[in-house]
Amino acid sequence: MRSSGINQVRPRNKYELMIDLRRFGEPRLRGKYLFLSRIKSGRLRDLVDYLHWRLGGYYSTSIGVDERPLDGYFHVYHVFVLEEYGVYVLVDLIADPGHPVVESITPVVPAANWAEREIMDFIGVKFRGHPEPHRLILPDDWPENVYPLRKDYPYDDKLPTSDKIAKLVRESSPATWEPEAPGDHTVIPVGPYHPALHEPEYFELFVEGEKIVDARYKGFMVHRGIEKIAESRLSYNQVSFIAERICGICGFTHSTAYCQAVEEAAGIDVPERAEYIRSILLEIERIHSHFLWMGVAFHLLGYDTGFMIMWRLRESIMDLAEELTGSRKMYGANIVGGIRDKWDIRDDKAALIKRMLDEIREEYLKYIPKIISLEEIKKRTRGVGVLSRSDARKYSVLGPHARASGIKTDVRKYRPYAAYKYVNVEIPVLDDGDIYARMIVRHEEILASIDLIHRLLDNIPKTPLHADTSYIPERRHGIGCTEAPRGEDLHFVITGRDNKLYRWRPRAPTYNNLLSVPAMLRGEYLADAPIIIASIDPCFSCTDHVVVVDLRSGRRRPLRTRGVVGGR
Amino acid sequence: MNRIKVLLENLRRGVVTEQYPFKPIRVPERLRGKPVIDPDKCAGCGACVNACPPNALTMRDDKHSSMRFIVLFIGRCIYCGKCEEACPFGAIRLTREFELAAENREDLYQVVGLRLYHCPLCGEPFTTVRLIKRVVEALPEEQRAAATLCPRCRESVTAHYRSYARR
Repeated sequence: MRSSGINQVRPRNKYELMIDLRRFGEPRLRGKYLFLSRIKSGRLRDLVDYLHWRLGGYYSTSIGVDERPLDGYFHVYHVFVLEEYGVYVLVDLIADPGHPVVESITPVVPAANWAEREIMDFIGVKFRGHPEPHRLILPDDWPENVYPLRKDYPYDDKLPTSDKIAKLVRESSPATWEPEAPGDHTVIPVGPYHPALHEPEYFELFVEGEKIVDARYKGFMVHRGIEKIAESRLSYNQVSFIAERICGICGFTHSTAYCQAVEEAAGIDVPERAEYIRSILLEIERIHSHFLWMGVAFHLLGYDTGFMIMWRLRESIMDLAEELTGSRKMYGANIVGGIRDKWDIRDDKAALIKRMLDEIREEYLKYIPKIISLEEIKKRTRGVGVLSRSDARKYSVLGPHARASGIKTDVRKYRPYAAYKYVNVEIPVLDDGDIYARMIVRHEEILASIDLIHRLLDNIPKTPLHADTSYIPERRHGIGCTEAPRGEDLHFVITGRDNKLYRWRPRAPTYNNLLSVPAMLRGEYLADAPIIIASIDPCFSCTDHVVVVDLRSGRRRPLRTRGVVGGR
Repeated sequence: MNRIKVLLENLRRGVVTEQYPFKPIRVPERLRGKPVIDPDKCAGCGACVNACPPNALTMRDDKHSSMRFIVLFIGRCIYCGKCEEACPFGAIRLTREFELAAENREDLYQVVGLRLYHCPLCGEPFTTVRLIKRVVEALPEEQRAAATLCPRCRESVTAHYRSYARR
């Protein structure tokens, strides 16, 4: 019996890694994907510990797939990103349909908490040893043993009508979960709408005087069931539009990630010009998103002048996007294999972009140094909402949020996609981990993005805009990753037949980042809660994407028994 | 001090808001607005219906009146322009019109009705008169007769040719 791997030689490349991982299961390398199946019994947690904590990789997400029609099993894929080796390790767990239980990895990697619960809700695979095996997404009065993402559940099922639900609820007894409050504290609900972000979220803050002692998040109120629609009704090229509508701020990054996932799966080479145009639009989106965040942050700090200035600047970016794509936000440019013809950026448009961006940068630089050196801003943000580097690792936080906590991560730099392969991307990293650091990281990124667009426009090559996509093979796995304004955005696909996806799962960065919010809130003042929550730039629509049904009437018992101050 | 500098900068900038809706607003040339079907060009082939991701475009054949209806409902439209790309006749295109609020739901519909074409052999409607005319015009002389039959009749009529060919 070998020791747990501490004294072992660290693998130097992906081939050595593959050989190394034979200790745990059967590895299979296909391009960027290292599938690891048939995990030896009892070794799963060692493996996860090794990948996440020792090898310098990080846990990204988990995906549950009902592959019973294909090979008779439920599959759970845990995706680990090992940037150093340039591979995604997909830990492939198999669950028997008769008794779908697999081992939980949450005790080793707390970041997996939600993803595993989501699989429990939607696919019905149970996780042994999960610390809180309760419903995450499905409402409390959803009947037991009805799993919407299983393939035998029709997408247009009329189940959630009041009679049927009442019947099913009567027949089964859905498990309800009441989180117990830590000790005897006052509960302050924040939500169901965030005070500034105007999106549904619900935080319960447990306070002692003015100090927050603990916090809990309940979300997933705007599920729209788009995964099911995409798998059942839409063709490959239609999904990119629904992917764009996952988010009202970073939509284009979702559609790019989706298209990349299918392109990866099908082995389609995207022409260079399309890659450049994608990158340019992605950077425009990033600038607008960061302006938006800055505005919201200043507003929450009580500095509305800053809010107005930032949103005015953002408006110029929106005008630019409208000029290029015909829409302020829904660019609609992506198809699998490239960019649609009308979305080409010709020379006259390139000149326009450069001129407008220069104006915006000049205007921005007039204001921002003065604003971020204001004493009030500094006092409210420095040392507030600190997330330490180790906590950031624990929750696998992403994007500017991770970079402000000293983690060097950026999909654009370490796993370059689109046109980031051809240019150097500068990423700002700060160690403070407080709100001020997050603000500075985003500030630097705005300037870096403007530079980046200039460089991209200078080098844009003349090639066709889209590749031939007439053949997309069946049952291929693909992962598309982009650096959204909030962090790594990951789309996982399995291709299917009849021009349709077999499985599609988008995972927005806020999904990981939100888990870290309670850790940041602990010990802070209540008055700082809104800015702390907002400092991760949360995007609730992105996170909630998946929920399937809206239960209109049909309720026989209240959805929550507690939730207002003092309980009901 | 910085606070005052920011305010001074703002004063120098002046008014930035626009007078819309009291004055018209500049609309970019590429704006993707309300889609409109040109009823003279539309042949009712249904290519746009297949392409439309949100099912804003639907197609319905009414056997009683012997009409095919292409129905465009703006309430579902996402202005992606897929229909414009798909249309072989250039009949549907996105305009730059963006003020789409309406008082009645009916105002959000555009319906194009086209006469259905019945198969001369079995009498089943299978496409529109206009589409069959365009197809026939585009085909060489010897293929025209077969093109006017519905797919099933065409198969049975041409079957014996194929059986000869196999020998």
